[in-house]
Amino acid sequence: MESILFYAFATLAIGSALLLVNLKNIARALFLFFIVLFAMAGLYLFALADFVAITQIMVYVGGVLILMLFAFMLSNKELLKDLQDSSGSFLNMPRWQAIVLALGFLTLLILGIREWQQSLPTWIQQARENNTEIIPTDNNIQQIGLRFMTFYVLPFEVISIFLMMALIGASHLSRKERNR
Amino acid sequence: MIDTILHILVPVAIFTFIAAFTLFAVYAERKIAGFVQDRLGPMETGKYGSLQTIADILKLLQKELITPTSADKILFRIAPIIIFVAVFTGFAVIPWAKDFIPANTHTGLFFIMAIISIDALGILMAGWGSNNKYSLLGSMRAIAQMVSYEIPVGLSLITVVMLTQTLNLNEIAIGQGIMTNGSIKFLGFWEVNEIGGFFAWNIFQAPHLIVTYLIFFIATLAECNRAPFDIPEAESELVGGFHTEYGGIQFAFIFLAEYAMMFLVAMLGVVLFLGGWNTPLPNIGAIRLADWTTGLAWGIFWTLAKSLFIVGVQMWIRWTLPRLRADQLMSLCWKVLTPLAFVCMAISAIWRILIIA
Repeated sequence: MESILFYAFATLAIGSALLLVNLKNIARALFLFFIVLFAMAGLYLFALADFVAITQIMVYVGGVLILMLFAFMLSNKELLKDLQDSSGSFLNMPRWQAIVLALGFLTLLILGIREWQQSLPTWIQQARENNTEIIPTDNNIQQIGLRFMTFYVLPFEVISIFLMMALIGASHLSRKERNR
Repeated sequence: MIDTILHILVPVAIFTFIAAFTLFAVYAERKIAGFVQDRLGPMETGKYGSLQTIADILKLLQKELITPTSADKILFRIAPIIIFVAVFTGFAVIPWAKDFIPANTHTGLFFIMAIISIDALGILMAGWGSNNKYSLLGSMRAIAQMVSYEIPVGLSLITVVMLTQTLNLNEIAIGQGIMTNGSIKFLGFWEVNEIGGFFAWNIFQAPHLIVTYLIFFIATLAECNRAPFDIPEAESELVGGFHTEYGGIQFAFIFLAEYAMMFLVAMLGVVLFLGGWNTPLPNIGAIRLADWTTGLAWGIFWTLAKSLFIVGVQMWIRWTLPRLRADQLMSLCWKVLTPLAFVCMAISAIWRILIIA
């Protein structure tokens, strides 16, 4: 049952991602992007990362995607025509470059699979032996919170300062200038 | 095998409940509207018009599905489904009685917040797919409003979670009555573990939580796009808002989602602030009112009674207050509710450190 669901989510993610890059209609492409993100969240659940899955939906679907749609719907038609007309836009790379990128990524993936030793990583084995393993039915959120405030407090604070900078920048950009 | 059957039965039961609730709520809404405006409301169909909504839904089910020629066919068709499913999924993590909850997860509250934000996407899809300027304007207004009001909702939820220390809605509900293991203090000074009743509800556990519940109530009213925050529909300006082009069963689903959302936020408020399935009656000495009115059936009864009461208040407000203008709506959110919610959150942090711990 679980493996069926896993492959269903995986096919959904890959299939809609492929369709997404081939679609000319930007509005539909953005809604397809939602399906990709949602299927990714489903895959995170199979990795026992329910917190990450929900955060993915909350941040990307509830925030980023809606902002993208908003920006798309507020921009004028001429601008969109330029975007939809794929020749001459700077994101549109010549074919050979795209192929080089894709091949490079494929080699990376193959190397990764070859490195994988078909066994559990040592840190999981150690945790199993010491009985400090965290199982999926445990309260993961409490663990995450404790780790954030102790072990990973520096990265956590750096992220919050970064977000603060983004907020100040956004409010500065959207401010009305009275002098002009 | 039994698990699989249960996994199918529970959603079907919840769906049946939502459909029945919507029929009842639409009738109640029209009667309340009639009462507020000093008229009778529906009177013709059945005794006191009680069959009116059943007649309405039968009419809607029979209607032809019309898709406008210039609409984006796929998006137009999918949108009502996404809107309804997003709201419907939210019911998965809300408890009806002690341990009587479809999915008892540690991330319950967070899950609801995330899943409700998908609703906004469905509305945008409906507005864009209809290819009608009123629909698009309505859905733009709806999204601007929902995205803004998600912030005070989120902050007021954090204010509660800081005190309860869990995101599991089942545990949050347990912590507000006589079944709890922790200590409950009425306004932070009077231990009420034995007494229970409404003294033990979260809303009375700290004075600032009363303000927080008000913020939560106002902001969720706006999340449901209901009057006085119904500028996305605004019949007098936008025809019908984002669902102008919908008819038949598709419209029925959008309507169902709106009422399901009302009930969902009412229930969420009840679980977080008003004691969930805990009884409002306290133990007074030998008269063990709280002990007598606690149990599975009582739990479901109290959840339903409290939630329906809150839905009633939502309807009462809808027919009493005039609609807010778009700029008033935004300034209420960003200049009043959000700063107030931040203050409450700060008080909650201090409360946790100084008074509880």
